[in-house]
Amino acid sequence: MFSFASIVSYLPDYLRGVMLTVELGLASASLGVVLGLVLALTRRSRFRALSWPTYIYIEFFRNTPPLVQIVWLYYGLPLLFGFDLGAFGSAAVALGLNIAAFLAEIFRAGILGVDRTQWQAARVLGLGFIDTLRFVILPQAVRNVLPPIGTTLIYLIKDTALASAIGTPELLRVGQLVSNETFRPAEALTVVAIAYFVLTYPIALGFSAIERHLSVSRG
Amino acid sequence: MAEPLIVVTGVVKRYGMETVLDRVSLSVNAGQVMVVIGPSGSGKSTLLRCLARLEPIQRGRITIDGAVAAVGTEELSQSSDGLRASSLSHDVGMVFQSYNLFPHLSVLNNVTLAPRRVLGMAREEANTVAIELLKRVGLEDKLHVFPGRLSGGQQQRAAIARALAMKPRVMLFDEVTSALDPELVGEVLRTMRALAEQGMTMLVVTHEMGFARDVADEVIFMDKGSIVEHSSPDRIFDSPSEPRTRAFLERLLEREGGTRKHP
Repeated sequence: MFSFASIVSYLPDYLRGVMLTVELGLASASLGVVLGLVLALTRRSRFRALSWPTYIYIEFFRNTPPLVQIVWLYYGLPLLFGFDLGAFGSAAVALGLNIAAFLAEIFRAGILGVDRTQWQAARVLGLGFIDTLRFVILPQAVRNVLPPIGTTLIYLIKDTALASAIGTPELLRVGQLVSNETFRPAEALTVVAIAYFVLTYPIALGFSAIERHLSVSRG
Repeated sequence: MAEPLIVVTGVVKRYGMETVLDRVSLSVNAGQVMVVIGPSGSGKSTLLRCLARLEPIQRGRITIDGAVAAVGTEELSQSSDGLRASSLSHDVGMVFQSYNLFPHLSVLNNVTLAPRRVLGMAREEANTVAIELLKRVGLEDKLHVFPGRLSGGQQQRAAIARALAMKPRVMLFDEVTSALDPELVGEVLRTMRALAEQGMTMLVVTHEMGFARDVADEVIFMDKGSIVEHSSPDRIFDSPSEPRTRAFLERLLEREGGTRKHP
């Protein structure tokens, strides 16, 4: 029998877990988007000193498990450099670095999808590289790749659960603690699952809405 | 006579081993309209792209209004006077065959983007200038429309207004009517003709021979990367001196049935 009776009193703890998950998601998403954009540009740079390290970075972070990256940052950094980011910091940075690798490839595809002639049109108008990116290329590039960006951000929110492995009291960690205390793992994690859904589904809805809006208004 | 506005001297342009422009020289005076004709692959579009600084040149030199716009990359290293091509390129406006409007921006914002970002105009001032220009090309009722909702002719006129907003000294037109439905060609040519009458210096690559004959001050026939014939429109169309020019014009006339009229 499912029984949530013993779970109810833990709802404030769940709420705190949700808050931490949101913070973790926002921190790593911000880092990931900014770094991903920079990497997308350095990846397609004609200077090999930029494009090669970027290539290695992207392949390294895409092809190793994010859990390993989190744990490595948490335990490895203090050992190697005497530099401790803390549990939340390690998780946020590791997830940000990880998601940046995926977003870089998505942004790159988006930029490649913008017709070459758009660069030329901007150039003959005298627009510089940064202005061309900001006002001409990126708005179109991002529009090209909204669906995969949305999917990646949803993955990111769910991947924040990995921070539980180093003891960050985020949503999944709270669920585990509740489960330990109540001996009701199924119920405790059902609440966790619902909470993740409530967090991620609006992202999906939001991205669909943006896509619809763009296709209606811009003909 | 003042120095010509555009001076092209011995320009050589290569893609890999292929020579696309072979020692091309020409000059265009302020207020003149020069039409460039020639078969595809003759290098005429490349010539415009070099003038617009979209392509580096390997040899020769291009000056616009006395300022060096481009120097051959193979000569740059040898020049002792530290000659540098100016990075400013908005003294030359260019209109492309495929319009190349910014699809995510309204017509008005297409026109105001560069004046605001490059010339540092305030939004209000840029809007005033843009609306004035869009009136001139007959698009004052399309300010807030996105390019995807416009006909090809309207898009091309918007592209002309966008280029004019940077107050260029020279306008380059690269086969701007070639992608248009026949019934839309006239409105774009009318816009260009009006521009020529207002004294704009223009270099026009086109297959519209009626336009060339009526509007051009000079016509250049290019073939295989070289200027084969350079003359007045009447002479080049009525009595071309080069057999290659004659053959080209005959082929063109055959294709068009020789009856096409232009507004």
